[in-house]
Amino acid sequence: MKTSGGRHCRNSVNGANTVIKSGKGIGWTATGLILALVLSSAAFFIATQYLFGLIICNLGLIIHGVYRRGDFWVIGRVFLAQLVITLSLYYLMHGKDQLLEGATVVLRVLMAFIPGWWLSVTCRPEKIGEVLTWILPAKWAFVIAASLSLLPTMTREVREIYQIQCLRGARITPKALKDPRNWSELIHCVIFPLLIQLLKLSKQTAMAAQLRHFGKHKKTTHWR
Amino acid sequence: MRKVFNFSLQDALFIGFCATLLVALKSMLRLKLGVAGHSMFLMTFFYLICYGVVGRVGSITACGFLSGLVAMMLSVGKGGPLILIKFGLPALAMDLSMMLFAGLLTLKWRCVVVGLVGCFAWAAKVWVENLLMGMTIQVALVQFGLSMLRGGAFTLLAALMVPPVLNRLRAHDLLFNEEIK
Amino acid sequence: MWYGTDRFRAYLGCLLLMSLLELDKVSYRYRCDEALVLQEINLKVNRGECHCISGPTGSGKSTLIKLIMGVLSRPWEGNFHIADGLVLGLVMQDPNVQFIRQSVGAEIAFALENLCVPTELMRGKVQSALRKVGLFVSLDMPIEQLSLGQKYRVMIASQLVSEPDILLLDEPWAQLDNAGVEELLLVLSELKEGGVAIVLVDHNPNAFVDVVDHYYFIKAGELIAGCPTPVVVDNIQAGLVQFDVCVMQIKPFEFRFSNQDPLFKSMQPLKLYSGEIVSLVGDNGTGKSSFLKSLAGIQSDINELPLLVLGKQAKVGAFGADLGLLLQRPNRQLFESSVLEEVQFSLKRFELPLFWAEQLLDELGLLHLKDHSPHTLSYGQQHMVALASLAVIKPKVLLLDDPFAGLDGEYLNRVWHLLTKLSRGGCAILLSGHRQMLTLPVTGHWLIHDGVLCSDGENQALGAA
Repeated sequence: MKTSGGRHCRNSVNGANTVIKSGKGIGWTATGLILALVLSSAAFFIATQYLFGLIICNLGLIIHGVYRRGDFWVIGRVFLAQLVITLSLYYLMHGKDQLLEGATVVLRVLMAFIPGWWLSVTCRPEKIGEVLTWILPAKWAFVIAASLSLLPTMTREVREIYQIQCLRGARITPKALKDPRNWSELIHCVIFPLLIQLLKLSKQTAMAAQLRHFGKHKKTTHWR
Repeated sequence: MRKVFNFSLQDALFIGFCATLLVALKSMLRLKLGVAGHSMFLMTFFYLICYGVVGRVGSITACGFLSGLVAMMLSVGKGGPLILIKFGLPALAMDLSMMLFAGLLTLKWRCVVVGLVGCFAWAAKVWVENLLMGMTIQVALVQFGLSMLRGGAFTLLAALMVPPVLNRLRAHDLLFNEEIK
Repeated sequence: MWYGTDRFRAYLGCLLLMSLLELDKVSYRYRCDEALVLQEINLKVNRGECHCISGPTGSGKSTLIKLIMGVLSRPWEGNFHIADGLVLGLVMQDPNVQFIRQSVGAEIAFALENLCVPTELMRGKVQSALRKVGLFVSLDMPIEQLSLGQKYRVMIASQLVSEPDILLLDEPWAQLDNAGVEELLLVLSELKEGGVAIVLVDHNPNAFVDVVDHYYFIKAGELIAGCPTPVVVDNIQAGLVQFDVCVMQIKPFEFRFSNQDPLFKSMQPLKLYSGEIVSLVGDNGTGKSSFLKSLAGIQSDINELPLLVLGKQAKVGAFGADLGLLLQRPNRQLFESSVLEEVQFSLKRFELPLFWAEQLLDELGLLHLKDHSPHTLSYGQQHMVALASLAVIKPKVLLLDDPFAGLDGEYLNRVWHLLTKLSRGGCAILLSGHRQMLTLPVTGHWLIHDGVLCSDGENQALGAA
């Protein structure tokens, strides 16, 4: 049980206040976020005659992404699976003539995903978090910051409880979990104790923050 | 609107933790389970747990959108702004149906119905997307049916596991909100 | 709450007595139908004093802190006077729930932000708080890169920034290594001189002898002045060490996480025999927990150890019912609806006779709890149930990570009785702890000191012979 998320979490969001020497990166991330949003939506709404322009844009993103050491295969796999399913459905239901149309649809699906992939390759996640917290209310920004900073604790807790119960003989080894009948065992002996821990954790975190006067004033000042 | 999402800090944090855990578990399990639709299992489970523990309409939506935001920040899944809709839409649908069914069925059946509504929203999202992209209605419908089948099975499984967990939490005096029965 | 009409009286009282805080026969219970957690507590705190309260986990120490902080939801009985405008600061037990920001400056400024202190005033206040705890690091320093002791001082500084009159510390010792305790003692004595009153709550009060003015301990809800009498473990014997059955052997090794400096190394081969109870002693943060986990084969990011447990390479699922591991805070592994089911769980999974569970509960004097929910038990009882759920399968090797933390004398003895019983049955037990266990029924000692793991050699020599 390892997580790829754990790596990022300690240096994550901070409410709206993390302007620790990152003015440049932030503007870039915000632009990237908007660009990704626009290009993703364009994949749905753009008329077919302009599709070629969009393809060029996305090719640019792919080249930039791969150049920044992104793994395009993540998307490629999904694309191929989609292509096979959709094209065979088209073939079965409409015959050969509309296969090209089907391929266009899959291409659009692909182009809806590419900007997101590119964003995750080129922008640091914590920067994305910072941009997002500009628009969020203070309480929810705090909740996200706290959740992300507690993520390592939570994953360690999941892993340890999982391992203890494995040693106690629970049927939750990766092999046993291939059988969905054992999923309830996972829920009972790992997720249930974990929820108890989360309840305690949320109580304590709330107390720690409130003792430091969190939530006393609607508007707060910011550390720079 | 403001009132709906005005949770106590403790509840808000619990929702946040559930959302984060949902995303973390999803990224852990992604590689191990190749089956599409398994994300509905985790989503249904954690959304319903949030509702059960916090005990208020709005908690599922909050959990959904927080999951989306967290997933975006951790670059889980295929990343990008679309993931917000992926997590948020089923949550919103579940919350709305929860309002409709509040106090109507037993907890178990309410969970199942609400979960399936969420699954429907999840599959419908793909359907609308496909239509927007110009897929023919027939093909889109078949794909919709397939997602509904796969997602539905996972949803059902998750929804059935929620009431025992909630009952256990309540039996051990670990729940602070008494509204959900 | 204490304001209202009482407030004026409190103010007058404090003016006359000059004490910051006074509890006069305060009692508290969490629910109407439950016993009193705190019973007629008397406590008076003046400026510049340091009070230390000890007691086992679950004795009501944390409740007392919450009572003083004013975060309890139910009313209490008795008089609780607190000086007008008094500011309290609390450093909590779990550092994970307290660090909210990533850099030292932002973390300390969190309280100031919430109090709407103008941005331009913050830097000065943050720096003065940092100076008070003797930390001279950059304000942009990531908290992650600090040592245990430094992190703890950042937590104190985050409280000092709102200039508290009383600083409460909940179990500082458990979070610190030896160097950290030394640093903390310095900071505390400086604070005392500056007129800050300190209330420490810890179950290892001896560590703070240099600064504490008044000692108390909590027993059955009552606050009693003085140090608790040291717990005496009954005079019991471990089983006979069976030198012909070696259950674990480790060749000389270096213990380190992948791509990191070694935590400690062992020069001589280590062996664990059937029937032995070996203590593994070392300071906080030396890597004892990770070491025990790697013996059970569940620590992943560790360099491979030249290790044979029960003749096999350590791996999850390799040992089945032959190996048990108890991690810290064992109550988190409890999940069943009743104590009996909890203890039977492993028996069911390993297909062993179910009646063993009731038999063991009977021997431990826990049979009357068998239908109770494990989650409603006291800390000591939960601890016993978790341990029983491992002991019941009669493992050949039992690894215990700090199994005595927070236990009172009664439960300490019960744990020892169970362990010696297991060892007489041929189980080899390795248990970790912070202190030397010389007077205890232990047959061997492994000690981690200055980055070297040494065994006391006696049994090793015999074993080699």
